Amino acid sequence: MKTSIRNVYLLPYVVWIGIFVVAPILLIVYYSFFDIEGKWTLSNYKMFFTPIYLKMAASSVWYALLVTFFSLLIAYPAAYALTKTKHKQLWLLFLILPTWVNLLLKVYAFLGIFGTYGLANAILAAVGIGPKQILFTDFSFVFVSVYIFIPFMLLPIFNALEELNPSLVDAARDLGASAWTTFRRVVFPLTLDGVKAGCQAVFIPSLSLFMITRLIAGNRVITLGTAIEEHFLVTQNWGMGSTIAVFLIIAMAAVVAVTGNRKRG
Amino acid sequence: MEKEAIIRFERVTKIYDGQVVLDDISFDIERGKFYTLLGPSGCGKTTILRLIAGFTEPTEGTIYFHGKPVNHIPANKRQVNTVFQDYALFPHLNVFENVAFGLRIKKKKQAEIREKVMEALRFVNLEGYENRSVQEMSGGQRQRVAIARAIVNEPEVLLLDEPLSALDLKLRTEMQYELRELQRRLGITFIFVTHDQEEALAMSDQIFVLNKGKIQQSGTPKEIYDEPVNRFVADFIGESNILRGVMLKDYLVEFAGKRFMCVDKGFRPNEPVDVVIRPEDLQITTRAQGKLQVRVDSQLFRGVHYELCCYDEDGNEWLVHSTKKAEVGEEIGLYFDPEAIHVMRISEEDGEKIDEN
Amino acid sequence: MRSNHKWGKVYLAVVFVILYMPIVYLIYYSFNSGGTMHDFEGVTLDWYKEVLHDTRLWIIVLNTITIALLSSAISTILGVMGALAIYYVKSWRMKQILLMLNNVLIVSPDVIIGASFLILFTMIGIQLGFTSVLLSHIAFSVPIVVLMVLPKLQEMSSTLIDAARDLGANQWDVLTKVVLPYITPGIFAGFFMALTYSLDDFAVTFFVTGNGFSTLSVEIYSRARQGISLSINALSALLFLLTIALVIGYYFISQKSAVSGMGGRRR
Repeated sequence: MKTSIRNVYLLPYVVWIGIFVVAPILLIVYYSFFDIEGKWTLSNYKMFFTPIYLKMAASSVWYALLVTFFSLLIAYPAAYALTKTKHKQLWLLFLILPTWVNLLLKVYAFLGIFGTYGLANAILAAVGIGPKQILFTDFSFVFVSVYIFIPFMLLPIFNALEELNPSLVDAARDLGASAWTTFRRVVFPLTLDGVKAGCQAVFIPSLSLFMITRLIAGNRVITLGTAIEEHFLVTQNWGMGSTIAVFLIIAMAAVVAVTGNRKRG
Repeated sequence: MEKEAIIRFERVTKIYDGQVVLDDISFDIERGKFYTLLGPSGCGKTTILRLIAGFTEPTEGTIYFHGKPVNHIPANKRQVNTVFQDYALFPHLNVFENVAFGLRIKKKKQAEIREKVMEALRFVNLEGYENRSVQEMSGGQRQRVAIARAIVNEPEVLLLDEPLSALDLKLRTEMQYELRELQRRLGITFIFVTHDQEEALAMSDQIFVLNKGKIQQSGTPKEIYDEPVNRFVADFIGESNILRGVMLKDYLVEFAGKRFMCVDKGFRPNEPVDVVIRPEDLQITTRAQGKLQVRVDSQLFRGVHYELCCYDEDGNEWLVHSTKKAEVGEEIGLYFDPEAIHVMRISEEDGEKIDEN
Repeated sequence: MRSNHKWGKVYLAVVFVILYMPIVYLIYYSFNSGGTMHDFEGVTLDWYKEVLHDTRLWIIVLNTITIALLSSAISTILGVMGALAIYYVKSWRMKQILLMLNNVLIVSPDVIIGASFLILFTMIGIQLGFTSVLLSHIAFSVPIVVLMVLPKLQEMSSTLIDAARDLGANQWDVLTKVVLPYITPGIFAGFFMALTYSLDDFAVTFFVTGNGFSTLSVEIYSRARQGISLSINALSALLFLLTIALVIGYYFISQKSAVSGMGGRRR
């Protein structure tokens, strides 16, 4: 009796997994072996290993690394400062509130801010540097991406810091460690799980964001995501798109393996 | 002794993941008594409770309620209720609804539910608390809610899984009195699980001492304390001086290099034995008058007595509870009556075979 | 130490300003009669009027809300079932496998989800449009609900279920009278998260939406690609207000259930 009731829960869930998790991945792999005319082929894979695609993949990884690095650089101190404030839950809510504003609207806002006569150039002019072409550069891509991802990096780090037993810090100080040593030897290692979770939450999507590249970076930055979108929706070469997707999935699996599949799940 | 048993375990074995948790256990539970299952953690006492409650089924053997096998009857169909170690109060329900839970499941009338719940709350001295959230209650109060929630269903047997372990010392002592009193007033069977031997001795009519999935000894608190059947029981119940000896013949035992008169008999001549002397049975005297000569190694004042740790010439440790003070390093004698010596058969981890006659 | 805290606050304030700056910027220029996102010429409500009279936009808003409510309701039901399934699965291995599969869609980039669903729907023969978008949103919301509900289940002491059974509850009673009430905050959180994910989703929808059907995100994208139009600003101001209302609403719901039910939230 017990088992039958359990199966009642299990069945729809497993069906969902089958249709929307397992089948799509298999389909992607399956399609990667077909060319645009629907013939079985390995040419997509051969194509991927040509310099054009390898370069694109490398630059996509490079930009994702940059975005992850800067997000971490900004979010960690912010999370740390946040834990020291009085009404931290309220402040946290305010800090992650912007994530609930539609992503595209925020990206769109930067069209104005980074525009030739926008806020950024006004500031640059005011400090005497003079107007620059910001929009449609790789700088604008990294900046906007970091902006988008800060809350996603901040949240897991904040949680890790909150879970940290404060007496550990006291203990380290008591044992003679300086503030910096305490941070380096105690706080940071113990919040590493949060950092990893944050990096995972930032790195993978930044490999594949195509709307930011389309709207902000013009065609200066082409990520794996942009290429997939291009092949699926513009050139209709699903085979090649799937092949790139396969590599993106592999990259994703690698990142998850390195950063550890979030435990406690 | 043959009264009607409410619960009977017949050769019950429980194996979890290849590990034997209960090893071929048999016993009877009678109506209206206070039973305690006593033992260290992992001895199987909680498993017995879960078997009785119906949360798990025996791997082998049979459990009877009133003579009927109940191995496959689920928990919700059994006439027993449990007070859990963490109380397991439903956090989304207030005190009244927690207590009323079982009655509501049985679809009793509202008026009857109200009456019974109030009566149960009165029983555990929680009148006026019915609208409180269980989150606002103290540990002792939660405990009472948990008891009220169980007894309101009028079970024949109430199971208590270490219910006092989360309370502080003072409250725990208080609840020991209350539980004992409650059991008398209700007149139903209590089966109480604990690892605290003092608690067991204070409250029970009958104690089962368990270790490694076997019942080591069963008996009244006095029997268990005065006549431990083996080293484990002697060691686990109270503090003891236990050492190896030889039973030379009836009424004569040798240990610590000397021969002593005792009151035990029925051993093989020269049978190796374990000898127990309780620390409170040892009296401090002069070296000359003592049956044993020891040197005081350390001394602690325990309030009602001094606790002395002494060593004899052979290096055996002797724990002494004495109202008299000694000096550390002093050479003293220890005196004891022949009745203070308790001789036990050596039984390597072997549990007592409980025969039902 | 004290000055450290002060710098911390300053730093936090800077991050804060940067995070909100684009949103404020958008809303500020939504009142600009100049028609661009620079050179504020004068205050006007024309852009709001334009938004209000844009029937096409309102149909899309309605679509978006319908999809969001439907998909989060259905995915909440599926997700709660999934969480229960994972919770009840005995074997540790099986549990890990289920969790891993559950998390695939959470860590997967939107493009992959979108592309693979596009293939899936084409293969099965589902017309791209309302149905395909709805199914996709349900699909990617389920694991989120599972992840919001599962910790609540795991936090629940297993003796609670034992206690209910001990008091005579059958499996159905245990579910409806103990488990579901206990995990209600998690279910609410899951539903809310599913709602926001659905409202916010662009990439997956973009892949599976086809020609006739559009959601707000997709519409904003296609309008933004044509350049700056201050009616988008006005729209974003309205959406921002809606978001804040939702968040405040959610905050109160979770506070309320936290007080009446769960009380001891883990620190």
